Amino acid sequence: MILTKKQRRVEWVFAIIMILLSLLFLFPVVWMIANSFKPDAAITADMNSVRAFIPPAPSGNFFDNYLSIITNTSFLRYMGNTLLYAAALIVLSVIVNGLAGYALAKIDFPFRERWLLIIMMLMIVPTETIITIHFLFIAKMGLLNTVVGYILPMIVNPFNIFLFRQVFISLPDDVWEAAQLDHCSAIKYFFTMVLPMSKTVVATVSVFTFLSVWNDYLWPSLVFTSSDLLTAQIGLNSITANVNTTMGMTLALITMVTIPVIIIYSLFSKQIVEGVVSTGSKEG
Amino acid sequence: MSFIELKNIYKKYPGADKNSVSDVSLNIEEKEFIAFVGPSGCGKSTTLRMIAGFEDITAGELYIDGQKMNEVAPKDRGIAMVFQNYALYPHMTVEKNISYGLKNMKVPADEIKKKVDWAIKVLGLEEYRRRKPKNLSGGQRQRVALGRAIVKDTKLFLMDEPLSNLDAKLRVSMRNEISKLHRQIGSTTIYVTHDQIEAMTMADRIVIMKDGIVQQVGKPMDLYKHPANKFVAGFIGSPQMNFYNVTVSGNVVTFEDGSKITLPESITSKLGRQGEFILGIRGEDIKLDAQNIDIFKADKQSAVVENVEVMGNENNLYFTFGGASSVARVSKYEVSEIGDEIEFVLNPMRMHFFDKDTELCCI
Repeated sequence: MILTKKQRRVEWVFAIIMILLSLLFLFPVVWMIANSFKPDAAITADMNSVRAFIPPAPSGNFFDNYLSIITNTSFLRYMGNTLLYAAALIVLSVIVNGLAGYALAKIDFPFRERWLLIIMMLMIVPTETIITIHFLFIAKMGLLNTVVGYILPMIVNPFNIFLFRQVFISLPDDVWEAAQLDHCSAIKYFFTMVLPMSKTVVATVSVFTFLSVWNDYLWPSLVFTSSDLLTAQIGLNSITANVNTTMGMTLALITMVTIPVIIIYSLFSKQIVEGVVSTGSKEG
Repeated sequence: MSFIELKNIYKKYPGADKNSVSDVSLNIEEKEFIAFVGPSGCGKSTTLRMIAGFEDITAGELYIDGQKMNEVAPKDRGIAMVFQNYALYPHMTVEKNISYGLKNMKVPADEIKKKVDWAIKVLGLEEYRRRKPKNLSGGQRQRVALGRAIVKDTKLFLMDEPLSNLDAKLRVSMRNEISKLHRQIGSTTIYVTHDQIEAMTMADRIVIMKDGIVQQVGKPMDLYKHPANKFVAGFIGSPQMNFYNVTVSGNVVTFEDGSKITLPESITSKLGRQGEFILGIRGEDIKLDAQNIDIFKADKQSAVVENVEVMGNENNLYFTFGGASSVARVSKYEVSEIGDEIEFVLNPMRMHFFDKDTELCCI
């Protein structure tokens, strides 16, 4: 596309505004990462200067805060726990919400549209309002302080169901018909055809699920009492509450919790945008 | 018993006012190539989908190879199908698309390889075997869809407008390939198309449908020469048959614009009655050559050419005659230009007379 002079000028101004905004948002992140390598004295000394945004020169004690976390706390274990929960939830979330989305998109059953409406209405209910019910339910089942108790209420997600439904509705019906003639069962079709044909939405739901598990604080703090099962966010809170934890260690902890999120966002930003955009697409 | 029997098949969709398919009865013999043809919404694809098992049969019975199939699942009907939009598995290579069904049917691996290699060779897909559908052209995708069907050794092939997404040139070559493949494999084939040329050139028999009702079943040339009604006469043949509202009185046919021609005794006696009819005559039976004009000189007509379609091997001349727009298909040597006055005769032996009310063919 050839731009006119005026259009090019507008593009430049727009780009500059975007860069300035990005810097504004990156500001605390850069500060956090730079100071996570410093001892507390240096953090305090650099507080009011530009040096607060510059990491110290690499030396023997460059990674002290990180090493201290690894050796003196169980934070790596908490991170491992969280990764494990996230992995399990991603698999279950794709299967359960995907199957529900497929049924709503492709299977003709009574009151299908009403069900969809109910699911869409559930999307506007904040998790905090139903968390007490979840807690009582899990407690009654005797699943408190268990991985199953933590995962179970998080599997079904109305937003993910809606996301899957919006993508599956555009899948051509004749592929299913061809698969039937190829002796493919409905379940096999879902796993070997529908999911591979909908990689974008699978990636989107996986990323959203990972982020929701990684960032969740309230639900794991209610379910888990045993320190062996804690997630990264709860672990972060309990470690920073300890009087022996330094400011540098706290910043290193927060960096460790933040980095995976940044990596995931940078790797899957395209899928996240495509997945969300697809929810607004016209029905096929 | 025929290989496929449709007995009084009806299809009515829930909430619909009328039947999509009404009282279709048809026998299809083994190894026959039969084409369902008709305009959009005539019920041809619905009938095919009922045979495949993708649509429930509202009433009637369907038999394939002597077995009643009304309640049998598509996979158990012993059919293979080629879809209009190919319906390839987009994440699988050509090879995997073709072998997928065989794997599900638990065919031994070495046999799968043999069959896939054969199909790929027959369809000329050797260099594309590891490509995914998105990296293939329309014609190549259609061949993969054919490959997926032919490896399964089924006795019945169903094809739902398989060439409609291809360009004109490719359609002609694929038409040829499908006919060749049919002769080579010898499976019974039911082919749905809205293109009467495809049906005429490929099928052993054609089923013409309109509004869910079978209008006529027959060999291509039988339909062309002896259409059962005005719809069939108009649908088969290109350019379309010319139709005129006429009054027959004695031996004289009077057109709406007052033009008259005389019919031979043999025709009027066959016609049996007098009065109003629709006269149909094909473009090639409107003669402009001196020899024919000399034979039928008493009934010579004239008109002014309004448009000329130069087809290369022949010309189509458009003019108004008998109160209707008409087309004459003439040889490439009979050159006329727009505005020329032409003289012509209608070959009475090739005329079709349709009842004005029922539109059924009288002769």
